[in-house]
Amino acid sequence: MEAASNPGEIMLRLKHYALGLLFLCPLIASAQTDSSSTDEDWDMYGNLDFADKGAKRFASSKVLNLSPARLIGVGYEVVGGAGLSSPAMPVPNAPTDTSASRIGLSHGLRLQANIPLISRNNIIWQMNLNYQDQNYVFEDAAALTHPLHRWLSRNGLRSAGLGFTVFKPFDEKNFVLLQASADASGDYGWKRLPSFGNLRYSAALLYGRKVSDRFMWGAGISRTYRVGELNYVPVVLLNWTSASGKWGVECLLPARGSLRRTFSPRSLATLGFELEGQSYRLENVDSDILVSQTNLELRRSELRLRLEYQRSLSGFYWIGIQAGLRYNYAFELDSFGSDNREFFRGFFGDQGYLLENSLQHTWFVSVVFSLVSP
Amino acid sequence: MNLVLKTSSALLFWASTLLLSAQADADRLLGVWEPSNGKARVKIEKIGPKYYGKIVWLKEPVDPKTQQPKTDKNNPDESLRTVPLKGYRLLKDFSYAGNNSWSEGTIYDPENGSTYSCTISMKDPNTLDIRGYIGISAFGRTDVWKRLQIPAK
Repeated sequence: MEAASNPGEIMLRLKHYALGLLFLCPLIASAQTDSSSTDEDWDMYGNLDFADKGAKRFASSKVLNLSPARLIGVGYEVVGGAGLSSPAMPVPNAPTDTSASRIGLSHGLRLQANIPLISRNNIIWQMNLNYQDQNYVFEDAAALTHPLHRWLSRNGLRSAGLGFTVFKPFDEKNFVLLQASADASGDYGWKRLPSFGNLRYSAALLYGRKVSDRFMWGAGISRTYRVGELNYVPVVLLNWTSASGKWGVECLLPARGSLRRTFSPRSLATLGFELEGQSYRLENVDSDILVSQTNLELRRSELRLRLEYQRSLSGFYWIGIQAGLRYNYAFELDSFGSDNREFFRGFFGDQGYLLENSLQHTWFVSVVFSLVSP
Repeated sequence: MNLVLKTSSALLFWASTLLLSAQADADRLLGVWEPSNGKARVKIEKIGPKYYGKIVWLKEPVDPKTQQPKTDKNNPDESLRTVPLKGYRLLKDFSYAGNNSWSEGTIYDPENGSTYSCTISMKDPNTLDIRGYIGISAFGRTDVWKRLQIPAK
């Protein structure tokens, strides 16, 4: 570039640059105007290929109109009155006959969080946290004589779990679902935390197929405590939505299954069941209760037949109201003995329980407020 | 004075080049993309300084219940439920934030009528990470969109 030699020439050149800039501005501005087209050739978009030849499509983990997944849920449950009778406890000074008492009400907090750690097309990895407690309010609690009943009245039951769910699609149709969790269940509290040695581990592994946007199924095997004690059972996943979108089925058998009626994307109802259970470690034992036994676990399992209504309160904040019948499946007491080892009884094992209790069936209601997932 | 002139020229040139280069980077978002579920194809366009994405193709264009072209029947605003889904803008108001990402936009899910906060990251020229979230990014889901090739006319 030839150097400018006087102020007039410099000014002239500056003017040229300014003009050049003025010329550039419309170019830049034009890049910021409407690139949209009102006259679309819609048909052309149906015949396009991926720009990246190696790109794949993957099955999603949901079907249309599936119940919303909860990111965070805070709920409270109340269970109706029920009679509890237990055979004599093999401890000194305990009643020698079967003891019968009545639980007037039981109630407890239920919390859950399902936080996506990785959420992509080719893998979803979610962390699951849950906590629930059950407090037993006995009628005439001061007069309870059976050690187990007194223990329930004083301590209640708590269960906290940490787990993960992995959904791994291989292509548009085939996927694998893995769930695993470690649960601490027992009579612990803030002052005395549960022992790691008493964690109970559950897991399920399924292979499945996403047949369409309205239907997916899967089958596999699970290690579960839903029947109150360790068991290995086959599992079946079934999610289906009708062509109208109004009806559907959501099942992960044998854990739960329901028929769904969708009223709108913001309200739905389900009618179904859930099998709930855990093995609760009894550690907070007073000296006058259960004293001669060690390493006790309460095997609790119940089948809940329920009707649930869920709706959006505002945006992603939902409420769910549930009511139904709680059918008691197991409320038995096991002793692991001095070696303190969990064992597999299964459906056909002949190991005896320390106590076989009888808990009446009753009603329950619950309400849960949740933040639902995108 | 010559030094002033040369510096001004260089600065002007550098500024305009930078501006155009940033513009070119930002405009790499333009094109037709397919979400992971393969149910739709979305054309991302630019209106003013912002980016928008509209549905240009549906795998199931007809509502099986009404046998009519699908509309935005799940929109919380009843007056919008008859708007056809084809042509519907589900990505709105994205601005280029630099570093191959576009932010401050929203994404609409026609399957449940919900609108989420959204950020877009370009992983490579043919792959977008679209993260819809509620409130904070941790409460969200990332969907991977793939670019579709438009044949030369």
